[in-house]
Amino acid sequence: MRIPRNLEVWRLGTVNYLKALKLQEKLASDRKINKITDTLLSLQHPPTYTLGKRRTDYNLLVPESELKNMGAELHYTQRGGDITFHGPHQAILYPIISLRDIGLGARKYVENLESTMIELSSLYGVKAHGQRKCETGVWVGDRKIGAIGVRISTGITSHGLAFNIDPDLTFFKHIVPCGIADKDVTSLRRETDLVLPDDEVIQEQLVSCFARLFGYNDIIWKDKNVIEIDD
Amino acid sequence: MALRIWASSTANALRLSSATRLHFSPLSRCFSSGNLHSYPSNSPSLCSFLKFRRQNRNLTYALVSIAVLDGLKYANSHEWVKHEGSVATIGITDHAQDHLGEVVFVELPDIGGSVTKANGFGAVESVKATSDVNSPISGEIVEVNTNLKETPGLINSSPYEAGWMIKVKPSNPSELEALMGPKEYTKFCEEEDGAH
Repeated sequence: MRIPRNLEVWRLGTVNYLKALKLQEKLASDRKINKITDTLLSLQHPPTYTLGKRRTDYNLLVPESELKNMGAELHYTQRGGDITFHGPHQAILYPIISLRDIGLGARKYVENLESTMIELSSLYGVKAHGQRKCETGVWVGDRKIGAIGVRISTGITSHGLAFNIDPDLTFFKHIVPCGIADKDVTSLRRETDLVLPDDEVIQEQLVSCFARLFGYNDIIWKDKNVIEIDD
Repeated sequence: MALRIWASSTANALRLSSATRLHFSPLSRCFSSGNLHSYPSNSPSLCSFLKFRRQNRNLTYALVSIAVLDGLKYANSHEWVKHEGSVATIGITDHAQDHLGEVVFVELPDIGGSVTKANGFGAVESVKATSDVNSPISGEIVEVNTNLKETPGLINSSPYEAGWMIKVKPSNPSELEALMGPKEYTKFCEEEDGAH
């Protein structure tokens, strides 16, 4: 008999990258000792470039000082994956879940994250696909619409996925996104003819796709202000 | 019948003597055989178990053999330990590498550092995910596998041999007793995979 599984979703609005990282670290360590249930952070970031564990900063095409002039930050992280950009109108999901509890390995987990974005895209008539030639991510044709970078520590996940609703794509010109030089980045706005609702609606739909794909029975929605939970 | 044919072709592919027995859990269906690793013919006898892996998003399944070696001890976080004299070699299991996907980067600690049982000592990256690797025992690191820097895929192709990660001088040999043996670990993997 399957025990019903709940997902607690925190809607955080726009959050500074380091604040979100600190929050994830706290939640991951709480999740490890079963102090909390599986939790999902749904948010956006101000303009931010991030690098993964491999520190592939040769894929940053401008000096760091110029990023500051653009109003963007740069952060080095422990997640997998290459360099990427996060910014307004890009939906971010950071699942802090126990993979051991659901018997998933890294590969299957990442496939499910891809499927989450593929399903969301299909709601707007956009045919996306994942895993192009072992290149993790979500694509519409040759154009990348969603990126993934994950950390798994003692079976608990952090970081997650970034889905382009309608970010300013010119920010991607200053990097070799995900280390892939000859492919474009795209967004839901570019790929669909439909009128898009507010970001909050799309983010909720993305969360629902996630919950369905990962077999959660119930979603508990919480609106949180990061400043309030800074303890 | 299909299982017997599979078993003898597995033994041939793994270059095992006909006297070696393969242990596997019974299955109701067989499809095509999946990935099989090569082990030298003088390797210790091995258990293995079968699992289905779904290919991509289509509903075709490949039968994959997951190897579990005799003579090793196993942690429930899917690392193995081989204790020989005063040195213990540590790596991740076939089950672990199968669940990770293609390993593209390995982070290893420095020689001379120490490891603590159940704590992380390094990480592997696959499919845009970095996964911490934990040490099953405590001790001093005496060697690390520098080949993994150039060829991280050794962890996939040879998880118990060329893909070893670190060698440790155990500080508390009794920790080895608390680890699982091959039969226990096989059962553990089957339960973990089968429960979901």
